[in-house]
Amino acid sequence: MTVAELEEHLAPIRHEYADPRSLILPALRYVQGEAGWLPPHAMAAVAEATGFSQAYVESVATFYDRLYIDEVGRYCINVCVTLSCMLRGSDELFEHIADYLGLDGEGTTADGMFTLARVQCIGACDRAPCLQVDSGVQLGPLEPADATCLIDDLRAEPAPARYDR
Amino acid sequence: MADPASSPGGSGAGGETPPVDVVSLTVNGRAIEAPKGTMLVDAAKAAGIEIPIFCYEPRLGAPIGACRMCLVEVEGMRGLQTACSTPVAPDMVVSTESELAKDAQDGVLELLLANHPLDCPVCDKGGECPLQDRTFRFGPGQTRTVEPKLHFPKPLDLSPLVALDRERCIACYRCVRFSQEVAEDGQLTFQERGDHVEIATFSGDPYEGRFTGNTIDLCPVGALTSNPYRFVSRPWDIKNTPSVCAGCSVGCNLEATERDNEVKRLTGRPEPNFAVEEGWICDRGRWGYPALRSDERITGPVLVDAVGRRTVLLDRAVNEAAGMLGRRELRVAVLLGEPITVEAGFLATEFATRAGNGEAMVRRMGIPGHGLDPLRALPGAQMDDLDRADAIVVLGGDPCAQQPVAELRLRKALRRGARVAMAGPRPTALDPSCQVTRTTPGHLQDALPIVAELIGAAERPIVMWDEADLAAEPDAAAALAALIEDHPATRAIELACDVSGPGLRALGVATAEDMLAALEAGEVDVLLTIQADPTTGPEGARWSRAIDGVPRIIEMSTYRSGVTDRADLVLPLLTALEDEGVLVSMTGRAQRLRPAARECADAASAWELLIALTHRLGRPVPDRTPAQAFSRLAAEHAAFAGLDYGELGTTGAVIAQGRGAGAGGPAARRNPAGDGLLVIPCRPVFGDATAHRSDALASVVEPTRVGLAPAEAERLGVRTEARVRITTPHGEAVLPLEVDSRLHEGAAYLFTGDPHAGAAALLPMDGGPVRAAVGVAQREQVEA
Repeated sequence: MTVAELEEHLAPIRHEYADPRSLILPALRYVQGEAGWLPPHAMAAVAEATGFSQAYVESVATFYDRLYIDEVGRYCINVCVTLSCMLRGSDELFEHIADYLGLDGEGTTADGMFTLARVQCIGACDRAPCLQVDSGVQLGPLEPADATCLIDDLRAEPAPARYDR
Repeated sequence: MADPASSPGGSGAGGETPPVDVVSLTVNGRAIEAPKGTMLVDAAKAAGIEIPIFCYEPRLGAPIGACRMCLVEVEGMRGLQTACSTPVAPDMVVSTESELAKDAQDGVLELLLANHPLDCPVCDKGGECPLQDRTFRFGPGQTRTVEPKLHFPKPLDLSPLVALDRERCIACYRCVRFSQEVAEDGQLTFQERGDHVEIATFSGDPYEGRFTGNTIDLCPVGALTSNPYRFVSRPWDIKNTPSVCAGCSVGCNLEATERDNEVKRLTGRPEPNFAVEEGWICDRGRWGYPALRSDERITGPVLVDAVGRRTVLLDRAVNEAAGMLGRRELRVAVLLGEPITVEAGFLATEFATRAGNGEAMVRRMGIPGHGLDPLRALPGAQMDDLDRADAIVVLGGDPCAQQPVAELRLRKALRRGARVAMAGPRPTALDPSCQVTRTTPGHLQDALPIVAELIGAAERPIVMWDEADLAAEPDAAAALAALIEDHPATRAIELACDVSGPGLRALGVATAEDMLAALEAGEVDVLLTIQADPTTGPEGARWSRAIDGVPRIIEMSTYRSGVTDRADLVLPLLTALEDEGVLVSMTGRAQRLRPAARECADAASAWELLIALTHRLGRPVPDRTPAQAFSRLAAEHAAFAGLDYGELGTTGAVIAQGRGAGAGGPAARRNPAGDGLLVIPCRPVFGDATAHRSDALASVVEPTRVGLAPAEAERLGVRTEARVRITTPHGEAVLPLEVDSRLHEGAAYLFTGDPHAGAAALLPMDGGPVRAAVGVAQREQVEA
């Protein structure tokens, strides 16, 4: 991602952000689309395109759970563990997925395909227990076997051209 | 922390403050008054009522109300108010002690401490920690928290100089605001804002800058501490002494921490001098003190005579000196370097009438500055006048590198909306932020239209002019002085190059060109150098040859120099941090040094030695102390008239306008011989001798080097060389090469500082322009 590309993307939306600081978030989301996370050079590009210091851009990025400062897998599987989901078996769901992926709790698989995380409420209590892959629609209610199918399906997919998370 | 509203106004002209409306209000049942616009916390403080604070610090800009420690109850206002961001209003009724306010103080402190490790016994801040003090005074006394505290590995090196202990941080934002809004380096931020908040730099890069240490002074807890001071001392074992930094001509006020008779730490003053440094000091000033213990320090008097070279007692050494200086037919010369207090300078002139034939020549190192007199006669300004200026022009020099704290004032002026223009041949750290005119080397007058335009359009303009650059171009100096005279509202600040220059000039001490001629002519029998090493200064090689021909040499010096090995007698001197007396800053402010420690038992002050010598010579001066010497020099020298040593206090006073004459009338501009590159001397304080001697500054010291523009380096065929040979009519040196696209073609930027590199010796004594040939260093020279 070059600064020029990023600036080209930002040009038509710049005027929508009265406070220039607000532009940092769409810029970060856009550059995250390329690698799926925010390597330092991507944040440096955002800093240059928005006119803020790299450190400030990083400080914004670290506030948001879905802006990834550390490298993550091709798919981020976020399992909700808030009250409704927990009462409906999110712990078992999470454990099952971790086992199936060969992970000890949260983390990224060795092949770089999946990053598994526990998250707080994703707004689908009526479908508890639920999970979300990247910024896709919340999926639920899920039995452990459903999760197995989901992971197998994802494995079969070709790598996305851009990441949406 | 001190409040700028209560700071002394600028002593220069242009500092008249308009009348202010006074507001009456009630705090804790007491009627108090405060100027309109004052924040409650300051109004209460002025009336002797303490409202606890952590994040509030007016020097960092508008209050942000981050820590919530200053909550007070205001009648008629819903809930509690933050006293730091609530301005006083007429008939306001405030309580800092009501049940609601006390409950809030308890609650805030309990929460601030919820994740604080309370490791005070192993914390450098313990004993001088606002969090500790306020917890004792305002806190609940016990915690109800049973949950485990947040733990981080500790400490983290934010840089080689600043250590970060993340679990102690209370997220007050002071350091972040300093980095973002005062130094404007944009490096420190809070990451993971929320319950895991931590101070960080981008990707964990080291925190680099020239002012990083101020975050340590600002930190109200033990989160940011000084690495070189880590575990060195506890606050009850130390003594703090207010003194003045002798690192550059700004004269920042600082506080020196002593333990076991050693200077262990330097900090900004808790009560800053708002007319000078505002409490900010640069890292070179802060961490220069390990130089006091460098290998180059002279630790005892050395006598060289028929018996050989040996260490003697100080008393014996003074007797020997008197013996060498006493005979009535001797022609004596006294050369003053830096730092020299005005008392020592004055006593040197007194000594001159008593030593040898009674007509000793007293001269100082430094730039002669023929032609600067008209500029020096202009109405001056203090650093805080920059806060009120609407246009500031910097002509020549590079205050960011040579007078670092000035950069913070200029940034402040820019934030305020003042026009700031930098004109000169050097790139500076402020270039991205202000109007820049890069003049062709040797053509500073090209920038005069910019100066005229800025000061013509402004009501309170200030021109900061560089001593060295304008001394080299007397025609530009004369034109600038005429221009400023046409705009009477304009004030001038001299960006002086030498710490002692302004004080010694006010005493009428001239520079040393004629002394060099006298040495060469064999007209000097005894040379006494005081903190002076002419062999590493301008025309050093010529000085070396001249000194070799002097029959007797006595050196008084803190550090070994090029004179030391040739001297018949060496008397060790104390450093400015150990000495007493007055230094005059570039803005003409006379400020007192106070001895913080005495690291070297066998060293003495220059003033002490000079007084002792006059006694041994049988013609004693009446003074016993710097205070007595000062009162006598104040009576004799118009610049100091009316000043009283005691009344200088901890913040000093400004000496009279005009500040003494230079060495002579205006001199014509000199056209340097040869066809080489014009040399642009750069004197970064981060690369000066002290920075090279201080092991704490090893990570930030600027190398002494040659800077070339890429095209120039290409043309000379040195683009890929690590080191180059630079030759002027005054000598030659092999120095590291830096190729920098911001530099001008047709010029060699000579960064001086390391006394062993021989760079400054390439410059001419008269401070005029010089040309240099730059070429490939031969292999044997590199190895040498």
